[in-house]
Amino acid sequence: MKSKSSLLFKTLLLSTSTRNIFRYTGEIKKKKKIIFSWIGILALCAMLTGYSLAMCIGYGKSGMADSVPVLGALIICLLALVFTFFKTNGYLFNFKEYDMLMALPFEAKTVAACKFLYMYVKSLPWYLCISIATLIGYAIYSKPAIYIYPLWIILSLFVPMIPMLIATFLGFVIAKISSGFRKNNIVQTILSLAFVIFCFSLRYIIEAVAKKGDINDTLSNISDVTAKAGRIVFPAGWFSNAIVKTGISDMLLLIGTSLLVFALVFGIMGSSYRQINSALKSHAASKNYKMTAQKKRSVVKAVAFKEFKRMTGSTVYMTNIAIGEIMAVLLGIVTLIIGFDRIIAIVTQNAPFDYAIVQPAIPFITYFFIGMMATTVCSPSLEGRNYWILQSLPVSKKDIYNGKMLFNLYLTIPFMIVSTFCLCISAKVPIITTVLYLILGVVLCMFSTAWGCVVGIKYMRLDWENEVEVIKQGAAPVIYMFPNMIFVMILAGLSIFLGTFIDHNVLAAIFMILYLALAAASYFRVMSLVKKET
Amino acid sequence: MSDKVMLAIKNYSKSYSEGKKAADDVTLDVCSGDIYGFIGHNGAGKSTTIRAVVGVLDFTEGEIYIDGHSVKDEPLLCKQVTAYIPDNPDLYDNLTGIQYLNFIADVFEIGAAEREERIKKYADLFEITDSLGDLISSYSHGMKQKIAIISALIHKPKLLVLDEPFVGLDPKATFTLKEIMHEMCGEGTAIFFSTHVLDVAEKLCNKVAIIKKGRIIASGTMEELTEGHSLEEAFLETDNEK
Repeated sequence: MKSKSSLLFKTLLLSTSTRNIFRYTGEIKKKKKIIFSWIGILALCAMLTGYSLAMCIGYGKSGMADSVPVLGALIICLLALVFTFFKTNGYLFNFKEYDMLMALPFEAKTVAACKFLYMYVKSLPWYLCISIATLIGYAIYSKPAIYIYPLWIILSLFVPMIPMLIATFLGFVIAKISSGFRKNNIVQTILSLAFVIFCFSLRYIIEAVAKKGDINDTLSNISDVTAKAGRIVFPAGWFSNAIVKTGISDMLLLIGTSLLVFALVFGIMGSSYRQINSALKSHAASKNYKMTAQKKRSVVKAVAFKEFKRMTGSTVYMTNIAIGEIMAVLLGIVTLIIGFDRIIAIVTQNAPFDYAIVQPAIPFITYFFIGMMATTVCSPSLEGRNYWILQSLPVSKKDIYNGKMLFNLYLTIPFMIVSTFCLCISAKVPIITTVLYLILGVVLCMFSTAWGCVVGIKYMRLDWENEVEVIKQGAAPVIYMFPNMIFVMILAGLSIFLGTFIDHNVLAAIFMILYLALAAASYFRVMSLVKKET
Repeated sequence: MSDKVMLAIKNYSKSYSEGKKAADDVTLDVCSGDIYGFIGHNGAGKSTTIRAVVGVLDFTEGEIYIDGHSVKDEPLLCKQVTAYIPDNPDLYDNLTGIQYLNFIADVFEIGAAEREERIKKYADLFEITDSLGDLISSYSHGMKQKIAIISALIHKPKLLVLDEPFVGLDPKATFTLKEIMHEMCGEGTAIFFSTHVLDVAEKLCNKVAIIKKGRIIASGTMEELTEGHSLEEAFLETDNEK
């Protein structure tokens, strides 16, 4: 059985390996795309490593080098927990080749475990980037013994394991609960979103727990908070103790517990894996439709409606797209309840400054969540095998992509308006400025939609095995998200800085013009790409 | 033909969470050497039954035995002797044809010489040998179907289960598949397949079952079912009666 597991695992890796495609494809265009995606991934790895290293240097210079291992491990644990949870549904359940694999002589738990290991190996390089960067930072300031280096690397392989297993198990529990419902897709989406929101609040929960343990200055002392968080997120704590105190028991605990949890999770999952997948993959047709008057829609609106149905039909797609919108609205509501100043105080950990200066950043704060992902980034790729439907329709590509963009605007603008409006009311922004911020918000949504569509078309990938590959892992989401988010953070900072000496209305108008120009440029790029594709 | 029952479906029922029954009290036996046709309308419950037989779909009522082993309790033993070809095979698109066939051969622990001989034999028969080094993503639907068929034959299964196997195949490949089915049946393999093509079923099968709304409404040997009429006439008559 052991060899069958490794055979399946190796085949899963090979089946999505771009190296294999590069080797055997005869299409030059495909080969070029693969090379560009490799360069892009390397650049992102370098960015991630650089960012993590800079953070460690900051810690080292502040005399907190000993906190670096726990900090790095904490980041890896939290990222592993959240990102795995987003992917679990698509990888472990509802996957395309389920019938083919389950008809072969593999145990259900072997299939589930191999799918997990595949997910683990695919995300490991990102976690190793963080780990190696933190190792360099730690080495510069702490000058550890030589054996720490290999130990660090070996233990780094185990650090994301437990959070990933927890996220997988939670995904399994949610799938199991949902499988008992008729509308299991909706139940699964709602439960998944609730969990993700819980994860995003985890930082504050950990801080709250850490605060209880100390009376005076816990929150003001970052080192203490990190150490306490390490005690709560135990894999991070074990890793840190193994490195800093050369704790053999911690080292064994990390490795042993990871392996034990792995065996436990897949032992439990194996028993009902087939039953869950059966329930999720098969539905009875209601066969009770009565012919009623039909609605006529324009081509663009019909495509937008199709996009809506595509999104709501997939838990992975829905959770990845809707999370930003929900977070934005939640932020707006929470801000209304507890006050804008209080929110800023929490985020900046009571930093002493006039919180009113943050006002010009309000549209960017909302956009940070809403623009995190656009449906236009993945929808061209998500056509997958159904691409022929659009290709064979007697409609122009322009209309098709306008429809895809229209749907993203329908989706994002209402959330953008509600969230920005809540923040403006709470921050007591003047009416005229509020209106300008709302318009800026809409312009930001237009940019996100068009820019997303440029990336979505340019890095379209139709031959995916699992929709997670184009929603979460493909070149398109990465290329869309990173520059967009980094740029928005810079602009948020810049707007705060400029807002101290430029009128806020003027500033909003300047950003509006800037983003309108970017949105228009992106839109025209979409149209030129569409022409090329035709 | 041998009378050894290779596939025994006993009072099998499959209900959805909505409470509706996709299969209701299905009972049938497929013996070694049988070519058993499973026919019915779209949505009658053919694929649901087939997916339960090959261990893909969970079921609560009844039992399914393959070569004497329970699909529920000893799934691995059942799968070891079974091959399944779905109606729309989802293969690994980014593997080459030969990589995929080797994967399946590895799963069934087929020796190197043996697998080479079988892959060559069937790939030549289906005229796909030249394309085995290409990525499956570059294949047409029919070529993917041919790869799925070769992968099913590679381990000489005792039970071959096919869901609409002739869809997408060119006339030559359809003929080849029918020849292979005859050859396998002669060697004692039991074949259970669903089809809408009644002419094919009539010429190929020695036994047939008709399923309607999840229930078997008629089953038996071809002669018993047709009683001198064509299968099409018998099917329409039975369908109208029940």
